[in-house]
Amino acid sequence: MLELHTSELSVGYNKKPLISDICLAVKQGGIVALVGPNGAGKSTILKTVSGMLEPVDGAIYIDGQELRNISKSQRAKWMSVMMTGRRDTEYTTCYEVVSVGRYPFTGLMGTLSDADHKAIEEAMALVGATELRDLDFDKISDGQKQRVLLARALVQEPKILILDEPTSFLDIGYKIEFIENLKKLVKEKQIGVLLSMHELELVRNVADQVICINDHGEVDCMGPVSEVFQTAYIERLFHIAPGGFERIYGRENAALKREENTEVNRDYRDEDSDSTSKPVNSQRRAHFLMVQGTMSSAGKSLVAAGLCRIFKQDGYRVVPFKSQNMALNSYITEDGLEMGRAQVMQAEAAGVKPSVYMNPILLKPTDDCGSQVIVNGKVVGNMRAREYFQYKTKLIPDILHAVEKLEEEADIIVIEGAGSPAEINLKQNDIVNMGMAKLVDAPVLLVGDIDRGGVFAQLLGTLELLEPEERDRVKGLIINKFRGDKTILDPGIEMLEERGDIPVTGVLPYMNLHLEDEDSLTERFERKAKGVIQISVIRLPHISNFTDFDVFEQIPEVALQYIQRPKELEDTDLLILPGTKNTISDMKWLKESGMETAILKYAAKGNPVIGICGGYQMMGQKIADPNGVEGGGEIAGLGLLPLETILEERKHRRQVQGKIQDATGQFAEWKDLEYTGYEIHMGSTRLVEVPGTGSVGSTVETPGTGSIEITHDSDSSAIVEFTEGQTGYASGNLYGTYIHGFFDRSEIVETLIQKIADAKGISLAMNQVMDYQELKEQEYDLLANTMREFMDMKKIYEMMGLHHDRNEV
Amino acid sequence: MTKRCTILFGVEILLIILLVIVNIHTGSTDVSLSEALSIIVSGGKGDVTSTIILDIRLPRIIAAFVLGGALALSGYLLQSFFHNPIAGPFVLGISSGAKLVVALLMVAAVEYGMVLSSVSMIVAALFGSLMATVFVILVAKKVHNMSILIVCGVMIGYICSAVTELVVSFASDSNIVNLHTWSLGSFSSVSWSQVYTFVPVVLIGLVAAILLSKGIEAFLYGEQYAFSLGMNVRLFRVLLIGVSSLLSATVTAFAGPISFVGIAVPHIIRSTFHTAKPLVMIVASFLGGGAFCLFCDLLARYLFAPTELSISTITAIFGAPIVISLMMKRKRG
Repeated sequence: MLELHTSELSVGYNKKPLISDICLAVKQGGIVALVGPNGAGKSTILKTVSGMLEPVDGAIYIDGQELRNISKSQRAKWMSVMMTGRRDTEYTTCYEVVSVGRYPFTGLMGTLSDADHKAIEEAMALVGATELRDLDFDKISDGQKQRVLLARALVQEPKILILDEPTSFLDIGYKIEFIENLKKLVKEKQIGVLLSMHELELVRNVADQVICINDHGEVDCMGPVSEVFQTAYIERLFHIAPGGFERIYGRENAALKREENTEVNRDYRDEDSDSTSKPVNSQRRAHFLMVQGTMSSAGKSLVAAGLCRIFKQDGYRVVPFKSQNMALNSYITEDGLEMGRAQVMQAEAAGVKPSVYMNPILLKPTDDCGSQVIVNGKVVGNMRAREYFQYKTKLIPDILHAVEKLEEEADIIVIEGAGSPAEINLKQNDIVNMGMAKLVDAPVLLVGDIDRGGVFAQLLGTLELLEPEERDRVKGLIINKFRGDKTILDPGIEMLEERGDIPVTGVLPYMNLHLEDEDSLTERFERKAKGVIQISVIRLPHISNFTDFDVFEQIPEVALQYIQRPKELEDTDLLILPGTKNTISDMKWLKESGMETAILKYAAKGNPVIGICGGYQMMGQKIADPNGVEGGGEIAGLGLLPLETILEERKHRRQVQGKIQDATGQFAEWKDLEYTGYEIHMGSTRLVEVPGTGSVGSTVETPGTGSIEITHDSDSSAIVEFTEGQTGYASGNLYGTYIHGFFDRSEIVETLIQKIADAKGISLAMNQVMDYQELKEQEYDLLANTMREFMDMKKIYEMMGLHHDRNEV
Repeated sequence: MTKRCTILFGVEILLIILLVIVNIHTGSTDVSLSEALSIIVSGGKGDVTSTIILDIRLPRIIAAFVLGGALALSGYLLQSFFHNPIAGPFVLGISSGAKLVVALLMVAAVEYGMVLSSVSMIVAALFGSLMATVFVILVAKKVHNMSILIVCGVMIGYICSAVTELVVSFASDSNIVNLHTWSLGSFSSVSWSQVYTFVPVVLIGLVAAILLSKGIEAFLYGEQYAFSLGMNVRLFRVLLIGVSSLLSATVTAFAGPISFVGIAVPHIIRSTFHTAKPLVMIVASFLGGGAFCLFCDLLARYLFAPTELSISTITAIFGAPIVISLMMKRKRG
């Protein structure tokens, strides 16, 4: 009996081992399966075993002889291989395709003998491909192709057959057919099979032995299928959140073999929803509550934040969650990972540190139909909308993994939906709204916005468009942003409850809170206010991280406006160049729109200009993109600071904290003040040597106006390090830094505003500037208290399977 | 072999016979068919008509047929190598590489008063085409997009042509006229001694290709699969490229670079014969290439007689649209 085995085999490319210490044995009549996550290296093993790749170390033996010493034709007679990936054929019948497998047996010209013809007929009959004989191989179905290719492998009369994911692209019918064919011929022809396969249900059915490869390049486990395949092990191997495997595959179908104690835990949990007692074991799952809206800006984020604060006040450990965010504004966690800001705000309300698991998928639009996809804080790549629509179901394990991580630390998880759950064109593959609710079996609160009108139609219409099982998940309706006399609303609510057959659990008043809300994008940009102190932020086409400037809105004397036209720069006391998603293209826009000239004129008058991140890069002399990060090229900057920026592919992401090193000009008193914030940018900026004294007083050529003399006080024109670690420089009244959140500390803002007021000769009612953090805390409490007043919290606790009667906590 | 193939082989042979007859018959001097036949059978009487038939038209017919066949075959082999129907010696810049080295050699020979043998021409052309081929293979390893590869090939072609033109303009002899006609591609001025050189070389190439046909069939399904059948893939690749280069180099040495035959003919054969069997494709492409070039040469001589067009002018008109349609039909790269 012939056997293929390996001894201490290491496989890999270019002599670099990918997987080491592989000891496998395939005997005639047996089936061995390789399983493991994508990219673990299963194909590499198969290629090495079949001789296509040289082993990095160790050896492969067939029938006791080392593979490299076996002649090519002998090898081909012992072992046949069926890899993924096919060449397209033209004008080739299936019979001809199969006949190529006789290569090791035919002569110089490849003429087929009678014996060859007989072998071909037999192989085709064995896999049930006889009726395909004269059909064009290119024109048959995938399942039929796979049958023909199996016949081609068989016609080689192998003792060992190597198959790389033979069932991957087949529908379930063909998968079963293929597996049955394979089992039959293994038995009849006594062939030994080594295969890789993703469908664990099939592996369980077909294989005798499994070898599990994990994604650290190790043989994680091997042995008989019945011993290896246990739910918990599979979940670990493929990084599935506990229970995730069953949730997708269904309990009966998927459960390969369940460990006894898991079974008990599970049952316990099922009872739990009907009883008031809290289970006391670590496998317990958190309680979920999901907030969905009838439309964008219905107030989901704030309602979720308010709920977080309420649960926190009631003594629960609560965390926010949203599976997928689409936003330009991202936040950097302590680990340097990116997540959406709405969950950061909710985490603050919940009194926990923001974690990337609260928002596992972040989409940052790069243009009108494409986005950068960030999964668990890491950039996966850029995708078109359509492409992502196909891709996103692959992210379910990541979502479940994130939920599992959060469950470790939480009693309650408040999930926010996105947009509307009734977008019937996008419902398929949904992972943010009802799809998400289903994944974790969460009750849903549906929020409608009465301020924009039509709230009854919003709520009833949304319910109407949901599938019955989805509708059953909606346990309560909320009318948000109500102003006026509630008694007028009451008859409507009665009818709403009657028609929708779902209780209205709250009518929330319109609240004006100073909290970051990324959805209020348009409102924010359109506001043109006039104040005693005028701060203007340039509305760059790719503006990002504009929440940096929210802090100014709480100072009564300050009016913050976003400007796009040179004329709007008039009467501005402080100009801010914000961050951008695309520095070069926005720099171009500055030049084309005439803003550049206006900014230079403004700066030349000695007015203060502050650049943050992308804006800071633009204040330099040059921005170059040699690696094509933003599409290549280079562009001259504003030339306000003697800096040069080179965009790099590596993204700098970190939280920072430091002291202002030095400051010149109007805000010289900033020196030694502490700041906190974070950096997120591609590219690094360095100082360029200025001939002469290191002064930046220079003449800048600007189109249209000739040249403008930029002058500064002689003592303040020197370039100084502004923020620590060369992250920012200042010169005169020009300040630039990479630090986002620079204005979050109250001392910095106070100093800033005070100096401007002094310069204008205005006196401020100062003490009003409160630490932004402190203010936010107050706002969250206000939000929670208002919501308690107007919502039926008892009902909401009931939905989640909690009986909250512990007001004493 | 299917019935369809047998019939089409018959058609090909009939076509060749017909084209040979018409080619002997037509030209700037009209010679009647019976007269021509009698001259060929009797061996000629030494008069002008005999010379035209025996020393001009007959070698030219043989050249068009054999070199045309070689070109089509070379194209088929390259297509097998690259797994792509748009590969061919002309579009990949291989013919131009050969042309450059041959032109350099010719100019040098004129300059230093050497006489070039046919064999040295083939060697020079082979050297040039192998250089271009190696370059193309290196590019192909980096980019897996056939369109980019072809653009590279066309660029190599331009570079080689530019250098050739440069060399020609600095050359100092009247032989330049010859060189110029040659560099555009032409079957004119082929002598019997040249025929005696290239016919054996092309026949060797043809036989080698036939011997490779078993391997080509396995190779069609991918290199990994061919390896698993026990094939020495590395050796096979070298042989395939070697034979293909030898064939296209021979054509270039004697008739200059001729465009698109290498792509157009195998494509026409494949889509009429409805087969991918290498043995059938090799023989049928060779015969088809011969017939195609006989036809094109006829047009080149006849259309604006007595002015003769370059053969590439004609082959491009028929061939280039086929290449464009093939590129548009392909779903990927």
